[in-house]
Amino acid sequence: MNRVMKGRLFNIFRYAMLLFWSLIVAFPVFWIVSTSFKPDWEWHAWPPVYWSQEASWANYQAVWGRPESPRSAADVKTQTARYESASANKPWQALWNSLYIAITATALSVAFGAILAYGVSRYRILSEIRMFQLLVLRMIPPIVVAAPLTLYYSALHLMDTATGLVIVYFITTLPYSVWMTKSFVDEVPVELEQAAEILGASKWQAIREVIFPLIRSGLVATFLFILILTWSEYLLSLMLSKVDVVTLPVQLAKYEGSDEGRVYGHQAALAVGITLPLMIIGIFIRKHLVRGFTFGMVKR
Amino acid sequence: MARIELKSLRKVFGKNIEAVKNLDFTIEEGEFVVIVGPSGCGKTTTLRMVAGFEEPTAGEIVIDGRVVNDVDPGDRGVGMVFQTHALFPHKTVAENIEFGPRMKKVPVETRKKRVREVADLVRIGHLLNKLPGQCSGGEAQRAALARTLITDPSAFLLDEPLSSLDAKLRREMRAEIDRLHEELKKTFVYVTHDQEEAMTLADRIMVMRLGVIEQVGTPMDIYNDPVSYFVADFFGSPSMNLIAGKVDNSNGAAAFTGFGIDYTLPEAYAGVSSGDYTLGVRPEHMVVGSESAAFSCDVQLVEPLGKDTLLYFEHGAERPTIAVVEASGRFKAGERLNVTFDPSRVYLFEPDGTRVR
Repeated sequence: MNRVMKGRLFNIFRYAMLLFWSLIVAFPVFWIVSTSFKPDWEWHAWPPVYWSQEASWANYQAVWGRPESPRSAADVKTQTARYESASANKPWQALWNSLYIAITATALSVAFGAILAYGVSRYRILSEIRMFQLLVLRMIPPIVVAAPLTLYYSALHLMDTATGLVIVYFITTLPYSVWMTKSFVDEVPVELEQAAEILGASKWQAIREVIFPLIRSGLVATFLFILILTWSEYLLSLMLSKVDVVTLPVQLAKYEGSDEGRVYGHQAALAVGITLPLMIIGIFIRKHLVRGFTFGMVKR
Repeated sequence: MARIELKSLRKVFGKNIEAVKNLDFTIEEGEFVVIVGPSGCGKTTTLRMVAGFEEPTAGEIVIDGRVVNDVDPGDRGVGMVFQTHALFPHKTVAENIEFGPRMKKVPVETRKKRVREVADLVRIGHLLNKLPGQCSGGEAQRAALARTLITDPSAFLLDEPLSSLDAKLRREMRAEIDRLHEELKKTFVYVTHDQEEAMTLADRIMVMRLGVIEQVGTPMDIYNDPVSYFVADFFGSPSMNLIAGKVDNSNGAAAFTGFGIDYTLPEAYAGVSSGDYTLGVRPEHMVVGSESAAFSCDVQLVEPLGKDTLLYFEHGAERPTIAVVEASGRFKAGERLNVTFDPSRVYLFEPDGTRVR
């Protein structure tokens, strides 16, 4: 067998493996989308129904289309009534909670992370070992933190508040922000800043005119990375919230438990709803993502 | 124009890495001074202290009578060209050049006009709308020059500006910098490790080694009258032949012996005491095919360079001894030749590197 043939065979093998792997990865996604369109008798059917002949938007309507509770305040007396009233708009409520908490926490995390990263990169305000310790914080199993946090949160009246979750997400994602943005600031040669300064720019002008435009893609990539983390965080959200501040991942889990029963179709419809915003954002900023995640922004 | 005085300047990095030790030097107005030396000699640190990017550990930097130790780089009235050109990659060449005046809030109209002018001065008028990434190395360095020129600094600091260019471009840009100095009549401080750049550009050369000044002088002073083995070896291409050996001054006439060489030293060295020395002769001061012989040796290699020819002699010394002769085809590899030295151009160095005078 000659080299060309060998190369071709290897390529065929390589693409076959890649295809096989992408099928494994893509199947659950396909299954969720497919389930979200199935009528309830097909959710548990055996043999499984891959693509329903009776596909409809019914699940989406059930999850996202439930009308505002029409009950008057006078009706909200019994335990059941109160429960139903609270549950009526749950997915939308969870969506707003998640949006507010994730975006606020991520914005704080990236902003403070960038400032810290600049300091670390240019002035070594944290030594190598401190930077490493920052990462080690993330190696602690979240449950270890979650249990004591519930105590503190009760005492500080942060339990079941959006502010409480913003704080905990901001702090737990800060190490990632610092590490990621630091690598972007490191990429910008220090001479560029010095050139700006000797040309008469103040420190702040040098940052605004030179550093910021060059790390913008990196900041966007960091923002999306942290947003995905906070958007999909489950454990802390579950433990630090009760009824008022339910985020989407927690809401999602409720369709499998005693709250609502095993309503897979509704769950799938909600899951698709959770994933879509991230995909849309991703498509809009993909130019930044490619540049940000490849870390090769500054042509020298 | 600026007169730059360095007074007892010292820079220590960390706890005990002394990059610059007690430097005293004055750069006169309009002078082109080249600071040259091997890497780690403190030349770039010195320049960066003048620019204001490094704070001196001790000593003063005085520009035009004003102590600038506590003055920000942007307020020292100096311009700097970096080794990596340091153009802002996200701005066009025009925006790069415009940056200085824009920071100083010069009106837009004036700014645009000045950008044109300096771009034409360094002949990059056609590149104004390009990004630095689309420019060649030489073009980028011209743009960097223009960006500095527009701020009209009283002194130009250049930190190995040509080291990232290829040989031909380097010569071209060298001529360009020389021309700019002629036209602008400003003070230029130029750092390089390339002795040829130093020789061709400088009014005065400051040779640094291990954080101290080894020698200061005009290029010809440095070339003809090196104070030490180090300077003698550093300047000149091909470099000076330096042969370790012994001097015996017991029988009235001082004679140098080593690696097959037996050479009676000229009158100037009559008073030298016996001991270990290094003999230095520049390749162009070798006399080949002479009657008398300091040594006889086979020509190992003949290297024609066009105008001149280099002859390599392998007689056991650390490096082959090289002689420059006019190109004539007279000498062939393998031929045995008598070689002696121009007696007025023979240098002798002590074992510690200082020159015997």
